[in-house]
Amino acid sequence: MTPGPLARRRLDRLLFLGPATLLLALFFLAPVLVNIAIAFTDMGRNLQVSGLTTENFARMLAGDRRLLGVMGTTLVYVLCTLAIFNVGYGLVLALVTTALPERSGAFFRAVWLLPRMSPSVVYALLWTWVVAPTDYGLLNQALAGAGLPAVDLKSDAPMLVIVLANGFIGASFGMIIFTSAIRSIPEHLFHAARVDGAGGLAIIWHVTLPQIRWQLSFVSLYQALSLLVSFEYIWLITDGGPFYDTTVFALYVYKRAFENGQYAYGAALALGLVIVGIATALLLWRFFDMKALLQRPRIEVS
Amino acid sequence: MSALAAAAPAAAPIDWARVAARSRTRRRATTLLLYGFLVLGSLPILVPYLWLFTVAFSGRMGASTLVLWRTLAVLLPALVIWSVIRLGLPPGRPTRLAELALLAVTLTLLLALTGPHLHLDNWRFLWNPNIADALKGASGVGLKFPSVWTAFGNSLLLASVQMTVVIVVSTLAGYYLSRFDFPGRASYLRGLLVLHAFPAMTLIIPIFLLMHWVGLLDTLTSVILVIAALELPFAIFVMKGFFDAVPWEIEMSAMTDGASRRQAFLHIVLPQVRVGMLAIGIFAFLRGWEEYVFVRTLLLEKANWTMSLYLFWMQEDVMGTDYAMVSAMGVFYVLPSVVLYTATQRYLTQMTIGGVKG
Repeated sequence: MTPGPLARRRLDRLLFLGPATLLLALFFLAPVLVNIAIAFTDMGRNLQVSGLTTENFARMLAGDRRLLGVMGTTLVYVLCTLAIFNVGYGLVLALVTTALPERSGAFFRAVWLLPRMSPSVVYALLWTWVVAPTDYGLLNQALAGAGLPAVDLKSDAPMLVIVLANGFIGASFGMIIFTSAIRSIPEHLFHAARVDGAGGLAIIWHVTLPQIRWQLSFVSLYQALSLLVSFEYIWLITDGGPFYDTTVFALYVYKRAFENGQYAYGAALALGLVIVGIATALLLWRFFDMKALLQRPRIEVS
Repeated sequence: MSALAAAAPAAAPIDWARVAARSRTRRRATTLLLYGFLVLGSLPILVPYLWLFTVAFSGRMGASTLVLWRTLAVLLPALVIWSVIRLGLPPGRPTRLAELALLAVTLTLLLALTGPHLHLDNWRFLWNPNIADALKGASGVGLKFPSVWTAFGNSLLLASVQMTVVIVVSTLAGYYLSRFDFPGRASYLRGLLVLHAFPAMTLIIPIFLLMHWVGLLDTLTSVILVIAALELPFAIFVMKGFFDAVPWEIEMSAMTDGASRRQAFLHIVLPQVRVGMLAIGIFAFLRGWEEYVFVRTLLLEKANWTMSLYLFWMQEDVMGTDYAMVSAMGVFYVLPSVVLYTATQRYLTQMTIGGVKG
């Protein structure tokens, strides 16, 4: 007996959409719910729950003296990296490489993609060695060659190290998006500007930037979010130190949970990030071409 | 471009040849300036990578930089001369010959200056399965480290299984979302978009707890499932885009010829989206190969270590001073990523979602 059209349609949906839905529910939806639930418990190192409490939130709002400093560090880190590298330098790289012949431009873009291509552990290792305070550190060798005294960036300017390390990776994202945006600007706009007597910088300011403002806001928003929640490279390079000098919020959450065993407090702190994440994700929505995405399928035969 | 700008109206008769020559010079100067900026700006990236590479093949206990400086002393002037040739001489046979001569001189110099220092000693971790014990013999700390091939195998397994899961699941879902109308389709797509932008890293605590509760902690399965799920929203969108681009007439004609919907999908449509499957596959593979935070959190046993954990603990625990061998391991770990990225860049750049590359 063959199944009826309705049953077969259901079966199709289960077959095609089922696995994806299951995985997404298990690893996005369930964790969000678990996170909210855990935030109201007293789960500690033994992973046991003995009672419900709102103590975590009280501690977050009043009791945690470290928290304010951590938030300040996060703000400085995110704003500096975003402005200087993810948007600023990404834009400069895109403008310069598109002004050059295609092959050379592609070469330099590939160079800037190198940090993104390498596994984080290798990239962090390179930074650790470059800024190593010993005579072996690459930076100190170069300084010694120039007759300058050795420096210890990791202790004296840790914020600079993490901004540079993350910025070198972050610049490539903006670079890629801005490059394709600049390429898609109609050529005649540039010609018109030239005829009107505009120089190179005036063209960038009056033609290129207005044409890619959509991408500029997209990259700013998207990268602000990913800088806010990612702590991988900071963790690997400075481990949040010295003291708490480079402990950003996301790293603080992780350390509270997995190093101090305060899972419940970590979950409560993470809730803040989750909310910011959802809000930004909703905002980012507007940047996708929703109409093309939601157009009705052209074929429906069962 | 500058030629047009220079042709601004002027009262006196214009010496066009001079104007053109001036604008050509200016243009060349600008180009040179841009190249200079890019080269200088890229040095902080290129030099450390070059250092890693040279130390891996020449260092002996300690981070020797001799080979690096010699390499740079040859390469940088060569680069400058090359750009002068490219910008100064008109394209043609003589230029090509000059370039070849430059290449030959550079290679000879490189070989002469660095050749005697090159050796493969730092790569002995590849054929010595107990390298950690051999190195730790002096310090006498007994800590069983796995062989590098165990970690390599784990990474390979993690990356390829995760890649397979992503390809299969997102292809099925992408096809359904592209072709079928069902109640809630619009909200499903909207939900996927939000998930795509949503930072999954914030969920690491509950994911750890879930894995603990279902008993999957410290298994490769847990990492495979987690990373695959996190890749899904993006992969599904890419696949949906590829399916959207396949004209539905070919499916239609297959079904008129008597094929069932599933047969048409398998034999007719699927071959059309091979590039898409390849692209998300490579992307997923690289993601699995590079993963650090989730493996560090979810895997504990040394036998389960992936390459990232192996490299991390090796340099942290065992051989903090043998920079040369750590460099070789770094090169060993980074090379597959870079080669795969470079070789498949063509496919990777074809992935777009809604006009925005992700």
